[in-house]
Amino acid sequence: MKTLRKFLDSQEKHFHQGGALERLYPLYEAADTLLFSAGNVTRGLTHLRDALDLKRTMTWVVIALVPTVIMALYNTGLQANGALSALGKGGAEGWRGAVLSLLGIGVDPASLVGNMVHGALYFFPVYLVTVAVGGFWEVIFACVRRHEIHEGFFVTSLLFPLILPPTIPLWQVALGISFGVVFGKEVFGGVGMNIFNPALVARAFLFFAYPGQISGDKVWVAVDGVSTATPLARLADTGGAMTASWWDAFIGLIPGSMGETSTLACLLGAAILLGTGIASWRTMVSVLVGMTSLALLFNAIGSATNPLFALSPLWHLVLGGFAFGAVYMATDPVSSALTNQGKYLYGFLIGAMAVMIRVVNPAFPEGMMLAILFGNLFAAIIDRFFINANIKRRLLRNV
Amino acid sequence: MNKLKKVFWEPVFNNNPIIGQILGICSALAVTSKLETSMVMSLAVIFVIAFSNLSISLIRKHIPGSIRILIEMTIIASLVIIADQLIKAFAYDVSKQLSVYVGLIITNCILMGRAEAFALKEPPLKSFLDGIGNGIGYSLVLLIVGFTRELLGSGKVLGYSILRLETEGGWYVPNGLFLLAPSAFVLIGVLIWLLRTWKPKPVQED
Amino acid sequence: MSKETKTKTVAVALGVCLVCSVLVSSAAVSLKDKQEQNKQLDRLKNILVVGGLYSPKTDIGKVFQENIRPFIVDLEKGAVLPRERFDAVLNTDDFDIKKIASSPRYGMKIPADEDIAGIKRRPRYMIVYQVIQNGAVEKIILPVYGKGVWSTMYGFIALNNDLTTVEGFSFYDHGETPGLGGEVDNPRWKRSWVGKKVFDKGGNVVIEVLKGTVDPGSPKAAHQIDGLSGASLTTRGVDKLVRYWLGDDGYGPYLAKLRQEGKG
Repeated sequence: MKTLRKFLDSQEKHFHQGGALERLYPLYEAADTLLFSAGNVTRGLTHLRDALDLKRTMTWVVIALVPTVIMALYNTGLQANGALSALGKGGAEGWRGAVLSLLGIGVDPASLVGNMVHGALYFFPVYLVTVAVGGFWEVIFACVRRHEIHEGFFVTSLLFPLILPPTIPLWQVALGISFGVVFGKEVFGGVGMNIFNPALVARAFLFFAYPGQISGDKVWVAVDGVSTATPLARLADTGGAMTASWWDAFIGLIPGSMGETSTLACLLGAAILLGTGIASWRTMVSVLVGMTSLALLFNAIGSATNPLFALSPLWHLVLGGFAFGAVYMATDPVSSALTNQGKYLYGFLIGAMAVMIRVVNPAFPEGMMLAILFGNLFAAIIDRFFINANIKRRLLRNV
Repeated sequence: MNKLKKVFWEPVFNNNPIIGQILGICSALAVTSKLETSMVMSLAVIFVIAFSNLSISLIRKHIPGSIRILIEMTIIASLVIIADQLIKAFAYDVSKQLSVYVGLIITNCILMGRAEAFALKEPPLKSFLDGIGNGIGYSLVLLIVGFTRELLGSGKVLGYSILRLETEGGWYVPNGLFLLAPSAFVLIGVLIWLLRTWKPKPVQED
Repeated sequence: MSKETKTKTVAVALGVCLVCSVLVSSAAVSLKDKQEQNKQLDRLKNILVVGGLYSPKTDIGKVFQENIRPFIVDLEKGAVLPRERFDAVLNTDDFDIKKIASSPRYGMKIPADEDIAGIKRRPRYMIVYQVIQNGAVEKIILPVYGKGVWSTMYGFIALNNDLTTVEGFSFYDHGETPGLGGEVDNPRWKRSWVGKKVFDKGGNVVIEVLKGTVDPGSPKAAHQIDGLSGASLTTRGVDKLVRYWLGDDGYGPYLAKLRQEGKG
């Protein structure tokens, strides 16, 4: 440990102003503070409310994401293995099949390990591409703008694969995260200045650019030629009956984007985020309230032709990306509303909008992504409104 | 001569109406999904803006201040209708795609802006050049956006296949976002970014 | 004379208006014929395209004159409308579906439970075109329309003279999402319609646009078309509008009559 510290210290001078590698200081700093606690941490009372610094906050978010990652691995594998064994095939195709047979793991959907490994073979390539390409842009901008590399990217790069379907082509992953990082974040000035959640910007880009690979019924199960729509899409499409049981949807054993299917995992994550005080309970609760009230309203109105009107709030909660969005995305401290009252309105707007898009819009069966981006857009106005109202009230009080 | 040159070139780069002054964005979003429509639209705008500047400048000494705007609107509107009629007569296919947007040139802020800010004060030749310069500045952006959107969105340029599409046996997967109007926002944003990096705007003091 | 007096103001206003109105009206008048001609040619071109008679070098007017014979059909009775009953609205030269559907005299409201194409109103009379080659009727072209995701899609379906086999299918006006529903314009997809059978032996409408791809081994494959991927609602719209217009509420009675005549 000490030698490593010494090595880093001895190299530091190259990266300071005038040093040969001055422009690459952000890289050095990132390596240094990842390995060691930062040399200059807040000791006084500058951070009034919280003892956690940004780096540790992000670490907690990553920890809170672990349950969804585990479910992502398991369910992706489960869906693929389930489809393969339904087709009566003994192994997967392509390099994944080769790896699986090399490891001596079959495609048995009942095997926990088998599902996890098969899922991992889908999740990790996407994740690695995200980190590599997104990280590349981060480093470029950090070097050009001479600031340090922000740890927020670890969260973004973990969120992004979780909201993608397993079959997404890797070049699209690279393009998506590039757009997300550059146009979702860096053009606004980098971490802390972005209006939108970069991972969602990246997904929205892919959603509108290459809809064939991120929506429809061929992308959710990682087996060639198998088409299974997400339960939401099927409901919107055929007006048929629900195809999954509520408990399956709650635990996350339904087709969908890799990390979003399991409401249970999201609840675990929510517990961690709320326990550490990182995410705002106000936002989460009001997203829930917004969703419930609009869903109940639609239930009451009813419709002869659109079965989604009758979908109860309990179903809305477990289907699609609702839980994932409410827990990890809507609560993103940078792009959400900052005032406490604002958070209620912001959350309500997102919840209601998600249901609105799901039920009323004919083309998009899932609405959470667009609803959160929409909420992000309004966050600043909402804050402004409440801050101004507050100023007015206090002025009046002091007259 | 140099002065006239400056009048002409200034609005093309330094003070480009779209990416410098952020005027005329509406049509830049609406008609740029193909290069062909962008080109026809560009020509229409150059025509209208050059001749509205010219005619307003010609009668500038006789325009009473009280009905100044009305006169300008009348002239611009007439020219737009003529342009619209011409396109309908000689480029019917394109006119179907441009639909109402040729007519909406009337509301394009660049036209009124140039009439008010330039043609009312300057002599005809200068105004005419200013009009053409502004029209070209507008067109430049439209053409870049139209070219990029058609190329990335459908793999074509002017209807000819450049990037062969996957659905037609090639390799290119078209990017559907570029066929939607919001992509023009992104592209214009990038152009503004590039322009401002190339020629930083002096910081305005409040 | 100062430029701000009342007289001068009025004079300048009048002068400008006069010049502008002369310019505008002369442009409009002198170009009108050309524009009308364009409009007409565009309409004819769409018909030739679906009838398989169009190439960029075609003399549209001439080919149309020689090879296409338009009729107006009373949809309910299935009878061809005699020329004497044509008037300013209802005629073969200037048949405007939208105008006729909304006219109280020639249009009708479709009862909600029959309105599978989602169009609310339709004409009582429709124009159909026969494609004549070497003196014989080769194909008939039927205008169809119905709702997609965002827009009403207008198109034509061309049937062989056996009145069952599709010879061409194409939309000439729609506002679907480019790249998704907009793929109704994809030439490959349009070609996939050719050769499909719209009716079974009993004369029931069996053509269907699937949500996925057609299994070529299936006995129904001759009646099925691949759906557009990622555009299930546009696909469903196409499926329904074709079924509506070929069914009893659409051209059903007319086609039945033609079949009888063919036998008799």
